[in-house]
Amino acid sequence: MSWQDWIILIGTLTIIILYGLHKSNIRKNLDSYFLCDRSLPWWVILISIMGTQASAVTFLSAPGQAFTDGMRFVQYYFGLPIAMVVLCISFVPAFHRLKIYTAYEFLEQRFDLKTRTLTSFLFLLQRGLSTGISISAPSIILSSLLGWDIFWTNIFMGGLLIVYTVTGGARAVASTQQIQFIIIFIGMMLAGYTVMHLLPGQIGFSEALHIGGKAGKLNVITTGFTKKGFDWNDRYNLISGTIGGFFLALSYFGTDQSQVGRYLTASSEKESKLGLLMNGIIKIPMQFLILLIGVLVYVFYQFHPEPIFFNQTQIHILEKSKYADSLVLLRNQYQRNETERIGAMNGISGSDKSSLNYQRALEHLRITEQNKDQQRGTIKRWLQDKEIGGDANDTNYIFLRFVVDYLPKGLIGLLIAVIFLAAWGSIGAALNSLAAATIVDFHIRFTKKTLSSKKEYDLSRWYTLLWGIFCVIVAQLAYNIGNSLIEAVNVLGSLFYGVILGIFLVAFYAKKIRGRSVFISAIITELGVVLIHILSQRGLIHLSFLWLNAVGAAGVWVLSWLIQMIVPAKAK
Amino acid sequence: MENSGDEKAPLFKSWTYWYILVLAILVLLIGLFYLFTKKYA
Repeated sequence: MSWQDWIILIGTLTIIILYGLHKSNIRKNLDSYFLCDRSLPWWVILISIMGTQASAVTFLSAPGQAFTDGMRFVQYYFGLPIAMVVLCISFVPAFHRLKIYTAYEFLEQRFDLKTRTLTSFLFLLQRGLSTGISISAPSIILSSLLGWDIFWTNIFMGGLLIVYTVTGGARAVASTQQIQFIIIFIGMMLAGYTVMHLLPGQIGFSEALHIGGKAGKLNVITTGFTKKGFDWNDRYNLISGTIGGFFLALSYFGTDQSQVGRYLTASSEKESKLGLLMNGIIKIPMQFLILLIGVLVYVFYQFHPEPIFFNQTQIHILEKSKYADSLVLLRNQYQRNETERIGAMNGISGSDKSSLNYQRALEHLRITEQNKDQQRGTIKRWLQDKEIGGDANDTNYIFLRFVVDYLPKGLIGLLIAVIFLAAWGSIGAALNSLAAATIVDFHIRFTKKTLSSKKEYDLSRWYTLLWGIFCVIVAQLAYNIGNSLIEAVNVLGSLFYGVILGIFLVAFYAKKIRGRSVFISAIITELGVVLIHILSQRGLIHLSFLWLNAVGAAGVWVLSWLIQMIVPAKAK
Repeated sequence: MENSGDEKAPLFKSWTYWYILVLAILVLLIGLFYLFTKKYA
């Protein structure tokens, strides 16, 4: 990175920390620390819930996803607007009416203490681990691309924000998320504009879309049906995106304290609802635009040499392995093929479609594309060799590799700042919510003596700090797992979210169900979900992890009714 | 579909219209994405 990039990166991060500290002047009680005195307007709620959901991985992974698999990933969000509506009808009014700090307090009022404690514990377990992984995942990518030390990258990624999150609580998190959102928006727009600017002169936006479309990258809508019927293992299609995505969004926004804690800071029920509904309107187009940047990067690489593998760290591993000599030969072949491929691509875009030259260039392009796929496939095969133990998936490195290699000085620093800020927005909210659940659902609930407001406030700050340290330690330990971490965040969420959602759905919509029934069914279903996941991992059943949310929620619902029918009979 | 919230919905008579608006935009987006996919496939 150039000194201009360093100045922009350090300057941006410093501004955010100072602004967070500036906004840390709050009253010393739980209402202020966790709920901003219930005073925020809907547009702050909107930015806050979007900033909490969009982690660093969102901006690293989504363009790479579009590059490799096309834009169909956007369907993953189709269930989100429906979930926002359900939340506004059932969840938000109940949470506001009861004036609660955490979503799990509601469960004690509806069921009993053990159900509240179990659900809050599942949240702490899942959110604590996944926040650690959220720190580690972008750190691994940045350290790999820029040669930074992973230990210190983790410290900066997960440690610096602790300063203002501890001192200012929810208000500092919400305030910094506003600035972060503006910088992220400007950064991504500039990235999109620069990609277009770097395309050859004859390629306009429409032509770029045609090139992306012909390569199958604009597959925004897919049904998931094959000749053999519906593919249950396919994650991103209209059906799994709408149904699976609905359950995922409902559980995430309705039962995860990191999100519930954001809209509980609203000045009224109306402001909470507006923030959530606006999220339902804006989220999909925003994700569409981020994915579109990935397609434009793909088009860019049609006219420029593409790296044989985007994750250079893995290439360095091969350079020191038994494949070192073969790698030298393969790289030479690849470079020659890339020169020919780009020549053919230029030949196509510069000639008349009916001409002989066009037909020749088209055929030549087809052959060189096949060669490229084979050569990249060889690298992946070598990395998958058990002796090598490498990571054959370079999707998350594509966008940042492009940024580092081709964007102008200054913009590189800004986009790396975007990665940091996106991470801080979601990690800050997570730490705040972890501290809220710890103090409210455990410490205060199980302490017999009454604590003063000041004592509760001090303890909350300590818990925020301790959770921050815990998450950074998890990030440091998680380094050895490698790039599969990003998938691990989603899988971990799906293992717990469904069951937690099931408990809340029973609470809201099955008034006859009592605490003991839902508690037993939650434990049985959680074990069942973990078992299904293990069977799926071993290839004994084929079910995408996205469906685990629906399975968990449905399992709790059905079992609760069954147990409820048995329990009263025994009681009689 | 109404709830016990004591505040009126902004712009519309009730929150139901807001919910319909959000779902209508979702359907519209899916329709536009479908046309987009067809055009560039």
